Amino acid sequence: MKPRFAAARLLALIRKRRLDRELEDEILAHLELAEKDAMAAGLSPEEARRQALRSFGGIQQIKEDHRDQRSVRWVENLWRDVRYGMASLARDPGFAAVTIALLALGIGANTAMFSIVDAVLLKPLPFPEPERMVRVWETPTPADRNGTTTLTFLDWKRQSEIFEALSVESPVRAAVETNGSPVRLSGKLVSADYFQVFGVKPQIGRTFAPGEDQPGAAPVVVISYSLWQSRFGGDPGVLNRDLKLDGKPHRIIAVLPPGSFDRDEAVFWKPLIFAPEQLNRIQHMYNPVGRLRPGVSLMQVQAKMNLLRASLAGVLADYKDWGFAVDPYAPSLVGDTLRRSIYLVFGAVVMVLLITSANVANLVLAKGATRQKEMAVRAALGASRGRLIAQLLTESLVSCVLGGVAGVFVAYLLLHAITPLVAASLPFTADLRLDPRVLGFAAVAAMAVLILAGLLPSLKTSLSKLSSSLNQAARGSSGSSAAMRRTIVIGEVAISVVLICGAALLFMSLAKLQQVDAGVRIDHVITMSTDLPPAAYPTPESATRFYDAIVQGLGSVSGVEQAAVTHKLPLQDAGWGEGMTMPGTAEGFNVGVKPVDPWYFGTMQIPLESGRGIEDRDRAGAPPVTVINQELARYLSSKFGIANPVGRIARIALPGYGSIPESLVNVQIVGVIRSEHTSELQEPQRRIAYVPMAQMPQQDINLVVRTQIDPLAVMSGIREAVRQVDPHLPLGEVRTMEQVKEQSMLWAKQPTWVVGAFAGIAALLAALGLYGVLAHAVTQQRREIGIRMALGARPGDVVSHTLRSALSMLAVGLAAGLAGSFALTRALKSLLFQVSALNPAALAAACVLMTLAGILAALIPVSRAAATDPMTVLRDEG
Amino acid sequence: MSEQKTDVPYGTLDLLILKTLDTMGPMHGYRIARRIEQVAENLLRLNQGSIYPALVRLEEQGWIRTHWGMSETNRKVKFYSLTRAGTRQLRVAVANWERTAALVARFLEAES
Repeated sequence: MKPRFAAARLLALIRKRRLDRELEDEILAHLELAEKDAMAAGLSPEEARRQALRSFGGIQQIKEDHRDQRSVRWVENLWRDVRYGMASLARDPGFAAVTIALLALGIGANTAMFSIVDAVLLKPLPFPEPERMVRVWETPTPADRNGTTTLTFLDWKRQSEIFEALSVESPVRAAVETNGSPVRLSGKLVSADYFQVFGVKPQIGRTFAPGEDQPGAAPVVVISYSLWQSRFGGDPGVLNRDLKLDGKPHRIIAVLPPGSFDRDEAVFWKPLIFAPEQLNRIQHMYNPVGRLRPGVSLMQVQAKMNLLRASLAGVLADYKDWGFAVDPYAPSLVGDTLRRSIYLVFGAVVMVLLITSANVANLVLAKGATRQKEMAVRAALGASRGRLIAQLLTESLVSCVLGGVAGVFVAYLLLHAITPLVAASLPFTADLRLDPRVLGFAAVAAMAVLILAGLLPSLKTSLSKLSSSLNQAARGSSGSSAAMRRTIVIGEVAISVVLICGAALLFMSLAKLQQVDAGVRIDHVITMSTDLPPAAYPTPESATRFYDAIVQGLGSVSGVEQAAVTHKLPLQDAGWGEGMTMPGTAEGFNVGVKPVDPWYFGTMQIPLESGRGIEDRDRAGAPPVTVINQELARYLSSKFGIANPVGRIARIALPGYGSIPESLVNVQIVGVIRSEHTSELQEPQRRIAYVPMAQMPQQDINLVVRTQIDPLAVMSGIREAVRQVDPHLPLGEVRTMEQVKEQSMLWAKQPTWVVGAFAGIAALLAALGLYGVLAHAVTQQRREIGIRMALGARPGDVVSHTLRSALSMLAVGLAAGLAGSFALTRALKSLLFQVSALNPAALAAACVLMTLAGILAALIPVSRAAATDPMTVLRDEG
Repeated sequence: MSEQKTDVPYGTLDLLILKTLDTMGPMHGYRIARRIEQVAENLLRLNQGSIYPALVRLEEQGWIRTHWGMSETNRKVKFYSLTRAGTRQLRVAVANWERTAALVARFLEAES
C-alpha cells in the first residue's frame, strides 16, 4: 500500500462525519440538476423528480459504496489480515512458538539492557533541574581533578551569586546497637545545604538548618526511607526519637523520600562540622557538589571561579599551578570503564537481536517457500501485490507484537534477576525499571525486527515470479529464496564470529588479570573492616592500645596463625597520595602512604628485600620511620641515584588522627619490601611508603587474619575475640582475601561473562539458522538426491555435497566475521588488559568455535541426506 | 425494452471518468455522469450515483483532485479535475484496454 494512499484513508476515517455530509450535499445537488434537466425536457416536476431518482440509482447503496471506498476497507483488510495471521500462526503452533520465543528472548534481553543504558547514561538524573548540579574541583593540571581543602571550600561557598547551594560529602561509618549486638551503618557527613543541592524534600520532617553544621550545634541526623522502614518500622512518630550513633544519641529530624537515596550506600546523613584545627589549605580531601543559581551558565561559573582563584593567589602560593574547575554533576557519577562496559554489552545484545531477527526472517522465508503456491493462487485470483505484502507483513506483525509482549515479560524477569548483581556497580541514581521509555524502546525493537524479519521475506515472497511458482512449488528447489536464506545465514555466522571474538578477547584479558601476582598471600586469609568511634577512641594512644589488644586477642584464637592491623587492604586502594621530598632535592613526588602494624608484612607474607620491617618499637615518641616498596626504591634510584635508600631521611606530609591535621614529618627509611598490589590488579604498581600504625593511628582500619584452616571456620572465634576487646565495636565487611580479589576484578568479570553468554547464544542461533537452511535444502532436494543415488552416487558423495554447502556458508561467514572483528574489536581496547585487540589466538578461537558449532548443526541434515532411499523418494514423486 | 442496453463493463467506469475529465476539463459529478451517458448514446445502463464511489476511489489514488464551485442551480458542489498522475494513469489504462480488447478480438476471430 502506498503510504500516501494509506494516509488518505486514515485521514478519511478521521473525517468520516464531514465527508458524509459532503456526499449528502453532492447527491442533493446532483438530483437538483437532474430534475432541472428533466423539466427542461418537458416533464412535470413530479415526473422529473422520479426520473432523477431512478437514473441516480439506490442512494443508500451509493452512500455505503462511497464509505467503503473511503475508509472502511482499509481497516477491514487490516483486521482480516490480523485474524488471518493469528489463524495461520495457530495452524502451525510449532513455528509460532519458536518464532515468538526467539523474539521474546531477543527483545527481552535488549529491553532489559536498554533500561540499564537509559537509567545510567541517558535519562536525566531523578532530581529537579539536574543540569544545574555541578561538581567543583581543584585541578593540579587542567586535565586532573583533585579534592579541595576546608578553607578553599568555604571560599567557594561564599560565592552565593553563582551557587545556590554547595556542600561537601564525606563518607562515615557508625556503630548502632541492634538486638544487643553492634552493627555498622554507612552514612555521610554533609554541609547543611546538602539536600538543597539535590533539590530533595524530606518525606517527613525538615532538612538541616543553616547553623547545624557549625561547632557546638546539637547532634541531629537525617535518615533514609529504607532505614526508617527497617529500623523504625515506618513509625510516624520517628521524629521524636533518637538514633544512637557510636553510642551518642542523635535527634532524627527528617526521613528522606524513597528512591535514589535508598540505592546509596549511606543510610544516614549528619552535618559535617569543621573543627577550628581542621581549617587549613593543605588537606585536599573534600569533593564538593553544588547547585548553580537559575540562569547561570557553566561558562559564567568557570569565569567567576578563575577570578576567585586569581584573588586567592596569595594564600594558595604552595599550589601556584593549581586551578579551580566546575563540571556537570551527572557525568561524574559514571566512570569511563562502566560507560564502556555498558555500551559494550548493549552492542553485544543488539547483535544478538540482529541474529534473532535473521533467524526469524529465515523461518518466515522457509515458510514462505512452502506458501508460494498459496500466494500464486491468490495473485491469480486478483489480489494485488500490495495486498499480498500487507498480508504477509501483518502475519509477521502478529508474531512481533506477541514476541514483543512476551519480551517485555522476559525483560521484567531479567531485570529482577540482574538488579541485585549489578546494583553495586551502578550509580545510586540509576533506577532500573520498565518505565514508559523502556517500553517504548521495546516497541521500537519489535518494529525493527518486524521490518528486518517481516518486510524482506514478504517482499521476496510476493515479488518473485508468482506465476512460475505455481508450476514450481510442487517440485521444490526455489532458487532465489534459497539464495536469500543462505545470505542471511552467512550474516548470522559473521555477527556471531564478531561476538565470539570479542568474548574470547575479554576472557583472555580476564585470565591475564587473574594470573597477575598480587604480591600477597591470597588463600587462608580473612579480612574485616571496622571503625573506631571517635567518642570511645578520642586519642591516638587509645587507638594504639586497641591495635595491640586486638592483635593479641586474634592471635590466640585457635586456628589463627597470625593477625595484623592495616589501614587499607591490598588490591583496594593505597590510601592517600602524599607529597614526599628527599632532602637536598627540590622536587617533590607523589607516594601512597599506607599505615600498617608490625605484623602486617608477616601476615600477608610480603618478603623483606633489605633493611628491616616495621617493628614493635616504632611507636609514638620513637623516631618516625617508613618502609618503602621496591617500586619507590627503584624510583629513588633512577630519579635521584639513591642506590640504597635504607637509612635515608625523607620528608612526607602525614595525615593526623581524627580531626588532627596533617603535618610534614622527617622520617627515616628503614627497609624495602617487595611490592604488593595496593590497588586493582590492572593498575601499575604504585610507589608506597608504609608507616607504623602506632606512629600514625587511624580510625577506619582493616583486620587481616591468616589461618591454618578454612578461614570461615574460625570466624566465630574471631568475633568472640573482638567482643572481648570492645563489645560495642561492630565488624564491617567480613571477606576472605579471595573475595577481595574477586571483587577487585568485578569490573572486568561482569561484562566478560555477559558478552560471553551473548556470544554463546549468538553461536547457537547461527548454528540453528544453518541447520534450518540445510535441513530445508535437503528436504527440497530429496528428489534430486534420490535420482543421483539411483544413478550410482554413493552416500559419501551426497554427504560431501551437503557438507560442502554448509562449509561454504561457514567460510564466507567466517571471512566476513573476521573482517568485522578487525573493525569492531578496537572498541574493546580500553577494556582489555595486556591483550591486543587483534590477538590472533582469539580470532582463531572464534573461527574454530564457530566452525565446530556449524559442523555440529550440519550433521543431522547431512546424515538425513545420506540416508535418503532413492526408491522411496522416486516413488513418492512419481 | 427495445434498445439493447449494457451494464458498465466491470472495471471500466474509472477509465470512462478519467477520459471524460481529460476531454472536458474540470466538471462536477452530475455533468460527468451525463457526459458518459451522452457519449454512450443511451447504450449504457449507468446508475448515475455509482460514479461517486468511483470518484472517491480515483481521488484517493491521486489521479483526480477536487475543488468547490457553484452549480447551475447555485449550489456548492465539488468540481473534479485530472491530476498529472491521472493523465499518466489514463494513458496506461487506455493502452491496457486496447491490448485486452485486441486479445479478445483475436480469440473471437480464431474461434469462429
